[in-house]
Amino acid sequence: MDFGFKLSPSSAVNLDTVDLARFDKLTSLVPDALTCIGCGSCSATCTAAPWSGMSVRKVLLGLQRGRDEEVDKMLSACMLCGKCTMVCPRGINTRHLILTLCRLNQKGEVVR
Amino acid sequence: MVNRQPVIAIIGAGIAGLEAARQLVALGYKPVLVEKAPAVGGHVAEWNRLFPDMSPAADLLDPLVAQTSGIKTLLNTEISSINRLKDEYNLVLSDGSSLLCQAVLFSTGFHLFDASKKEEYGYGIYDRVITNRDLEQWFNTRHDDRIGHPKAVGFVHCVGSRDVKAGNTQCSKVCCITAIKQAIELTEEFPDAEVYCFYMDLRLFGKKYEDYYIRAQRDYGIHFIRGRVSEVGEAIDGRVVVKAEDTLSGKPVKVTLDLLVLMAGIVCNPDAQYYAREIGVSVDDDGFLKSRDNLGAITESSRPGVFFAGACTGAKTIPETLAEARSAALAIHRYFSNPR
Amino acid sequence: MRERFADAFHPFVLPFLVGIFFVLGYCLVGMIRVIAQLPKADRKRFLLTLITPKYIWMNVRDIFLNCLIHVKLWKRNKVLGYMHSSIAFGWFMLIVLGHLEVMLFVPHRIRFFYYPIFFNYFVAETEQTLPGSLLMFLMDFFLLIVLSGITLAIIKRFASRIVGMRRTTRLSLFDRIGLYSLWAIFPLRLLAESFTAHISGGSFLTIPMNWVFRQFLGNDLHELPTWWAYSIALCVFMCVLPFTRYMHIPAEMLLIPMRNAGIRIRHPRKGFASLEVYSCPSCGVCIDACPMSVRKANCKDATVYLNRMLRRGNERRIEEISDKCLLCGKCTAVCQVGVQGPELRVAQRARRKYALSPDFSEINVRPMASAVASGAGGKSGGVLYFAGCMTQLTPSIRRATTSLLDKAGVRWQMMDPDGGLCCGRPLMMAGRTDQARQLIAKNLEIIRASGCDTLLLSCPICYKVFREEYALDDVRVVHHSVFFQELIASGRLQMQREDELRLVWHDPCELGRGCGIYEEPRQALAAVGELVEAGKHHAESICCGGSLGSLTLSYEQRQPMTQNALDNLTLANPGTIVTGCPLCLATFVRAADRPVRDLAEVLDEHC
Repeated sequence: MDFGFKLSPSSAVNLDTVDLARFDKLTSLVPDALTCIGCGSCSATCTAAPWSGMSVRKVLLGLQRGRDEEVDKMLSACMLCGKCTMVCPRGINTRHLILTLCRLNQKGEVVR
Repeated sequence: MVNRQPVIAIIGAGIAGLEAARQLVALGYKPVLVEKAPAVGGHVAEWNRLFPDMSPAADLLDPLVAQTSGIKTLLNTEISSINRLKDEYNLVLSDGSSLLCQAVLFSTGFHLFDASKKEEYGYGIYDRVITNRDLEQWFNTRHDDRIGHPKAVGFVHCVGSRDVKAGNTQCSKVCCITAIKQAIELTEEFPDAEVYCFYMDLRLFGKKYEDYYIRAQRDYGIHFIRGRVSEVGEAIDGRVVVKAEDTLSGKPVKVTLDLLVLMAGIVCNPDAQYYAREIGVSVDDDGFLKSRDNLGAITESSRPGVFFAGACTGAKTIPETLAEARSAALAIHRYFSNPR
Repeated sequence: MRERFADAFHPFVLPFLVGIFFVLGYCLVGMIRVIAQLPKADRKRFLLTLITPKYIWMNVRDIFLNCLIHVKLWKRNKVLGYMHSSIAFGWFMLIVLGHLEVMLFVPHRIRFFYYPIFFNYFVAETEQTLPGSLLMFLMDFFLLIVLSGITLAIIKRFASRIVGMRRTTRLSLFDRIGLYSLWAIFPLRLLAESFTAHISGGSFLTIPMNWVFRQFLGNDLHELPTWWAYSIALCVFMCVLPFTRYMHIPAEMLLIPMRNAGIRIRHPRKGFASLEVYSCPSCGVCIDACPMSVRKANCKDATVYLNRMLRRGNERRIEEISDKCLLCGKCTAVCQVGVQGPELRVAQRARRKYALSPDFSEINVRPMASAVASGAGGKSGGVLYFAGCMTQLTPSIRRATTSLLDKAGVRWQMMDPDGGLCCGRPLMMAGRTDQARQLIAKNLEIIRASGCDTLLLSCPICYKVFREEYALDDVRVVHHSVFFQELIASGRLQMQREDELRLVWHDPCELGRGCGIYEEPRQALAAVGELVEAGKHHAESICCGGSLGSLTLSYEQRQPMTQNALDNLTLANPGTIVTGCPLCLATFVRAADRPVRDLAEVLDEHC
């Protein structure tokens, strides 16, 4: 029975319940995404960051921690300038990663 | 019957070569040291103080140089070509002479990554950007116009290391502890300066290294920021502006500095790669020379008669280098003792 | 000449008639469809040019020079040029002369399609006349020319290196049928005409062969089979033509007038795009030219294969090829027909569906606009310098450019001193034109606020988009190489020449092929040191491999391309490599064994 009381949800990330559909689809199409070490070069150099807080590092992290809304907001700010790809020390093709992500819907399927 | 007359060529008279020569002499051999610089001592001779004890480099080097002063050493000598004969090696030297030897020890050391290749950091473009080597030389000589009386200093870790764009995906091992050492030294020199270390990961694996880190944080107030510097710009007054992301807080960070030190990484000496290929010794895919077995036989190559000691097979600390030098000397001794 | 047969018909002409009606019908329908698929404005403009004398002359001249003589191919490789012009022009002359023969001798049969083609069967030579023997001579002469071309073609197919091509296209089944039937047509014609030469007359080729045949084969029964074979070969060729690379023959004749009228690719599959796809002769010159084909990788991603995949509708491969391309434009530069590889691919990228689209509407550029307005001090004019995204990673360019501007005493200010918006070209290259227009609108606000009269760019990627997509009519958009060359030429910048300095200029794809700027940087460099040329340069310069045009190439895949470009640049052993693009600079610095500098840096050091 629902008495109208709710416990406030914990702000902890519950890795048991996080939906990894988009992330798994991304890594099957762009396997290098798994090699990100979170150094933050991409975020530091991002052209769109001052205007929107976009950061490829945060996008990858957000996908793995279930922060989909934030991820979508950041993805819509990307100007595709390519600076992040130039500086990534792991050689990840971040532009390809972003464009691939933009083609996935929430369930992780490629839209046609 | 031990052949105590074989000629052993030791390429490189840094601490690896000197220590190996010392051990070989103690075992009764007569090695020959070939060194391209005007003096022995290699990189250690350029350094001021060594981590983690801050002991002067001279305390380690001078006794070693004194004990090996009687060994035949060819200074200012480069190797023009090297080739393998049946079980001997022929080195043609730059002074025209030829050295025929029965064993070769590579103690060629490392080469420092050329920081000007990371153009976005501005080495060679901005006056206030120097490398770890430049700073160490300043500690020794106190001659460098770029270093005045800095109030804010930054250290950028991993310049040319762990970076596929720089052509070196390996970690250079010793730069993190060196950065902390130099940060402490700078703070001792300029107590009112703020020192920032921009790192991706802090690799402090060795004996007492972690204590050093604690000292740096607690006793010297050095700021550690987890974020790789992406760009360095210039402010109006000639100071440098560093842009990074403070990944721990997820926010971009900007700071104006009087001095920026780039921790240039360790890559293999290109001469060593060339000599190795000439005599059929493989170069590993990380660019360093390939040992017979990375765990159990790091001082031996796959070719009989060719041995390694020190940074030619990968980034090394001083204790590791000295241990390898002694081990290589013993391996050489075993090589000549066993009937073939 | 008199006719041999009263009814002027024989069943063997039927295969030919089937073929010719099929192919003419197909081409007519195809032409109507292409024109109908053009956007209305383009269609009106094109049809107008068809009745404008200036364009009519241009079209006729271009069709003659390109479709028949293959002038462009001659410049590339004389053997290939001869091969194609001999077949094309020779066959054209055979048809023309055939019609001439009919008009002269049996004019009442001119409406019979097949008469000019099978003239030698249907008429008999009654007496040797001058026009008759002249025409016979010309027919044999052109037949010989075509046969020489066919011989070269056969050699090329089996040993392409002899004719100077390293790699040639792998043919599909239909292409093979078309090829072999084309090869068969002319030897069979020769055979057929030679068999009939004692009746119809002939010349230096057919008469001797006729004499030889008659030694072994006494009766005339062998005539007909050869004429049947000739007709069938023609039929097979024409029936397969629309499904093979030979569709380029009719397609190019429509492509040239459309291109002269200024039509561009709009829809990725219909209209002008489909015309270009069908105009591809599958020659394979683009395979060797493509910078991605270094070390035999990515050969199947050249434009010739994109065209083939577009014809077949293989969506997976179309997507793969379109996304991989560096968009360097080299294939267009070497293409004999002028198929625009990069534009075709960008059009394919534009039709991709996305779940998320960029939205830049919330970006507020008023602080930046006010900063440049106050920086101009209320005065209009002056130079506005836009460094761009990539220049932040190559600070030496910005430093040198601003230093040179100061030395020349130019009034300037920076549009993006602390970073700005991207110019929009990377979005356009990825096919996201609408989103790019949002960025363009924002940047225009800032430019207008500054009141400048010149917009200076140090990056050719930005330069191209500012020049072509931004409607900046009252502002001069200029690349720094051109701007500094003008300052040197007018004396405002004094260069100190260093004679021992050996420099080579790398033509960036976006600056050279993209914008046609080749000479100004060279003139500027010549004032500073000794300029040598790379192996391939100007329109044939090799892409550095760092291009933002490719969406999917990895860093490892690009490294051999960069190395190949460097090998090309260092052929004349320069001391320094000079370029005019920050992306080329960053890409080369990582891999070169000698200094790589931007033009501004080199000029600044010597000023």
